[in-house]
Amino acid sequence: MYEVFWDKVKNRLNSSGDKLAGDVHGGFEANGIVIFNVLEDAIKAEKIVKGNGLECKLVAPPPALRKGCDLAVAINLVEKPLLERILSDAVPYVHILPLEGSRELLQIVKVQYYEKHIMVKAANMKITYDKQSGRIVNTSGGGCPDIPYLHLQFLGKKLTEVPYPKDISYTLCALMLDRALEECISLWKREEIECCS
Amino acid sequence: MLLIAGIIPIADLPLIEGKVEKNGGFLSVNGNDIPPTQGTAAMISAALEVSSFLDIEPPHVVLAGDIGNGKGSRLIYRYLIENLESLSARVLALHYCLPIIQLMKQLVAVVDKCGTRPVLIADAASMYAAKAAGLAGKFDIFTPDASEIAFLADPEAEHPAYISRHLFETDSSRVPELIKKAYANNAAARLLLVKGECDYIALEGNIIASVNEPDIPEIECIGGTGDTITGMLSAFVHAGYPMEQAALISARANRFAGQMAEANPATLVGELIRYLPEVFKDKLDSWVEKT
Repeated sequence: MYEVFWDKVKNRLNSSGDKLAGDVHGGFEANGIVIFNVLEDAIKAEKIVKGNGLECKLVAPPPALRKGCDLAVAINLVEKPLLERILSDAVPYVHILPLEGSRELLQIVKVQYYEKHIMVKAANMKITYDKQSGRIVNTSGGGCPDIPYLHLQFLGKKLTEVPYPKDISYTLCALMLDRALEECISLWKREEIECCS
Repeated sequence: MLLIAGIIPIADLPLIEGKVEKNGGFLSVNGNDIPPTQGTAAMISAALEVSSFLDIEPPHVVLAGDIGNGKGSRLIYRYLIENLESLSARVLALHYCLPIIQLMKQLVAVVDKCGTRPVLIADAASMYAAKAAGLAGKFDIFTPDASEIAFLADPEAEHPAYISRHLFETDSSRVPELIKKAYANNAAARLLLVKGECDYIALEGNIIASVNEPDIPEIECIGGTGDTITGMLSAFVHAGYPMEQAALISARANRFAGQMAEANPATLVGELIRYLPEVFKDKLDSWVEKT
């Protein structure tokens, strides 16, 4: 039964021209990959991703990234936050990774202190807030298309009043803005506790 | 023609193409009012200040609404791929968009086919796409900030979110090393203007100038102050200034505008842009004489 299913999948890969992830076919060039434990999940995920208007393709994962099954979904890595959101409730997956290497997302942040403000930097994204009020006075950096929108949404609002970018946005820049926001909130709450204790 | 392409954070803005004008506090393109906020709008605003001051043709723009899903970005890529040759741009500046490798490859192929190849400039995610597509060497100018030069220096990073920890933690005094690495990786344009605590200008692998005065650290907080540098640089190149001189003037002008605006971390980019004409009036002639 499994062999018959796998043969069908291989035929589909061959007919659509898909080979190993990283190759260019059908006008879509991937730089990220979603890894699955179970073959059926990869097929289900491809339908879900395409159903949400994103480009993807079924591929055989490179050996170094192979975890459970011989089928993966190649994606545009920059859309990782949106992919996580649409897949998380629908189909179990193991990882979303860059195709080249197995680099993890940058986890650390930098903090810069000014007289009345604090700037937190996560990768290419920065949030600056007012120490007294906890209001966001600026966001800067980045290059993906949700960043100018989030800038307008965040300006003048309290750190605790804005939505987490990972819940509403689409791209890796937004995910880094999310990291910065988490750190800002953590710093802000710590300062409130110190101030009031 | 200076052609600037990028997204605008208005979800339902269709693709628009045309000459940009000022309309009160807004930018206006074919009757569409666009707020000059962080991103491509700030870039265009700064370019428009340069063209107004020099009394040359204003920027021509290709814009579309996009709040992250990439729909507007795709419209822009496809419009440029189909129409760039007939637009006859002398300078093409690519800015905020969803980085889509295959579309960037198609676009650069069209640039190569243009009768007179435009000066090709990229900032923001257009620069990320150019690197990811392995096409950085096809570009004339990139304008990365400190984290983005670390991204260009990192051969494994597909996006700045994946730069290695040691490169992210690199002290700003070591930016020159990152510039060398970026060139060694073939991930740099012919000219780099690296924006930061100290702005560096590098040409074909060598640092040729740096700018660190006036020193206004607060500018880093202000969303859009990198965009204004790229906008000015694009406009000065369009006006015929050599790339190196245009880069130097733009880096200096941004700092002086910050000084005049008495920039603090809560300053908005529009407040700096407002001072650009005054900066040009006070400084441009002497900067041109000295370079």
